[in-house]
Amino acid sequence: MRLVLGFAALVALGAAASLAGSEYGLRLLNLAVIAAVSVVGLNFAFGYAGLITLGQSAFAGLGAYSLAILTTRLGWSPWLAAPVGIALTALAAAAVGLPLLRLKGHYLALATLGLNVSVGIVAANWIEVTGGTNGIAGIPALTLFGRPLTGERAFLWFGLSVLAVLSLGASLLHRSRYGRAMMAVRDDETAALMTGLDVTGIKVAAFTLSGAYAAVAGCLFALHVQFISPDDFGYAHSITSLSMLIVGGEGSITGAILGAVLLTFLPEWLRFLGQGYLAFFGLMMLAILIFLPRGLMGLVETWQIRRRGTAEARPATRAARPAVRS
Amino acid sequence: MADFLQLLTNGLALGSVYALAAIGFVIVYSATGVVNFAAGQFVMLGTFAGVATLNDAGWPLPVGYAGALVAMGLFGLLFYAAVYLPLRHSPVVTIIIGTVAIGITLQNAALLTFGSWPFRLVSPFEGMMVEVGGAQIPVHAIAVVLGTAGLIGLLWLLLNRTFLGMAMRAVAQDLRAARLMGLRVGALLAFTWVLAAILAGVAGLMLGPMWFADVNMGDPIALKAFAATIIGGFGSLPGAIAGGIFVGLTEVLGASYLSSAYKDLIAFGAMILFLLVRPQGIFGERIQDRA
Repeated sequence: MRLVLGFAALVALGAAASLAGSEYGLRLLNLAVIAAVSVVGLNFAFGYAGLITLGQSAFAGLGAYSLAILTTRLGWSPWLAAPVGIALTALAAAAVGLPLLRLKGHYLALATLGLNVSVGIVAANWIEVTGGTNGIAGIPALTLFGRPLTGERAFLWFGLSVLAVLSLGASLLHRSRYGRAMMAVRDDETAALMTGLDVTGIKVAAFTLSGAYAAVAGCLFALHVQFISPDDFGYAHSITSLSMLIVGGEGSITGAILGAVLLTFLPEWLRFLGQGYLAFFGLMMLAILIFLPRGLMGLVETWQIRRRGTAEARPATRAARPAVRS
Repeated sequence: MADFLQLLTNGLALGSVYALAAIGFVIVYSATGVVNFAAGQFVMLGTFAGVATLNDAGWPLPVGYAGALVAMGLFGLLFYAAVYLPLRHSPVVTIIIGTVAIGITLQNAALLTFGSWPFRLVSPFEGMMVEVGGAQIPVHAIAVVLGTAGLIGLLWLLLNRTFLGMAMRAVAQDLRAARLMGLRVGALLAFTWVLAAILAGVAGLMLGPMWFADVNMGDPIALKAFAATIIGGFGSLPGAIAGGIFVGLTEVLGASYLSSAYKDLIAFGAMILFLLVRPQGIFGERIQDRA
């Protein structure tokens, strides 16, 4: 019940913002919601299963390009093209994950990064299919009840609903045996194996789910901007997704959403600094990592504990894992 | 044949630069366990330290090179104190994101200082060519290959024949044991960062006259250095050299014989293939499962 209330609050909050915000603010909010969908997905792979992946935006790109090609070349309805794109991406994630997920730690990070770079090179050069660096323009808008979702405000409602439904799904999974199995694999792979868990299967499932969420985000992006190019899905965006999750607080859906919103808006808030705003942005991110090792959710938890005056703290997700060196 | 010789030299020169960048990345990883995603920005800073001393201040070449490398050494020390020390107990992913964040800062700071126009760094061998088997080969490329080989030799002597180098290797093998043996671990780790920054600085100074230097050059170099490290073997110095040369050669030869659009796909494809088939790379990582 608290869950449903939580996500109702999320929609209400966004809706309130949609009535008040400026057109530009709404555009950013839409981008934040789209990023949040992808980061909530990344939370399966990294937050729960502990897989450091830097390939999230490659899967977003796969979903977006599938949708763009099916709608502009074959004239499909986006409602039909999106599920096909998401399914194709999930298949690709599973196929890639099966061999790749034997790698651990920074090896997996670099392998997925290499994959993302490779996908970017193909997208920029396979001109007959992807349009090369010119990208694909003229992606049709989504129509809902006969009305096209073209304005920022209309799209925000739709994006928020998608985010709420997907977050609800994620949080149901978090509480299920499958969520617990993923976390068991993250905390101690050997112990998880000893209790009879199918470690490889669980990892691939988490990675596939994470890729599918990324594809949803990619489809949303394509339908929102109605134009995509390889730059929208470069490896830098994958690093940003992981940063959002870390800054928000890994292993937490609320944290994933908070991180996505904060890192989307923070550069804009810093624009008053003039040209040097990105330099300051980097320093602020470093400061968050140093002073809030468990992200924004760490802050929230400290606040909750202080308010209750009890010591029933949730076990720290990060402390449970070995640091780089002791 | 003449074309091939020319491409071979250029590929070796580019590979030498990647090898130096990869060595800087590897010695930091071996000693501290840090996967430094800002490694490419280190090379970019090296190039722009040269731009500052040679192009802007107009110092004579030897003084300018020395000044740029001293600046890089100080930068390594600063990085140790401001980024490594606060993050040293963090999980690997936090360190990755932290070094990315500081990389963004470095890149933007360079953009503010130098602007977005590309620079051309002068070479001591500006415009000089030698003819080998009918091919015109720039002396700068030959100097880069020989210089890198010399530097690697010096590094080998440092690590294997001096007390300082052996102490560094002891820290890399077992930090706690090294501390118990009375080694000044903090100072040794700081020196490792300084050394990595200086090597990146040399790579940047060598690269400056080969490419047009612009402030966005860091990321592509970092990606190539990562690929070199994986292909050669994570944590292995000979591996970083072999991997760097491999990546440089495939880039130059692949661009002219296969496809200039897909030239980078060869290096990253090889990297992923190595990860799948032989994750320890050509030379293998001595200390297993550090992650």
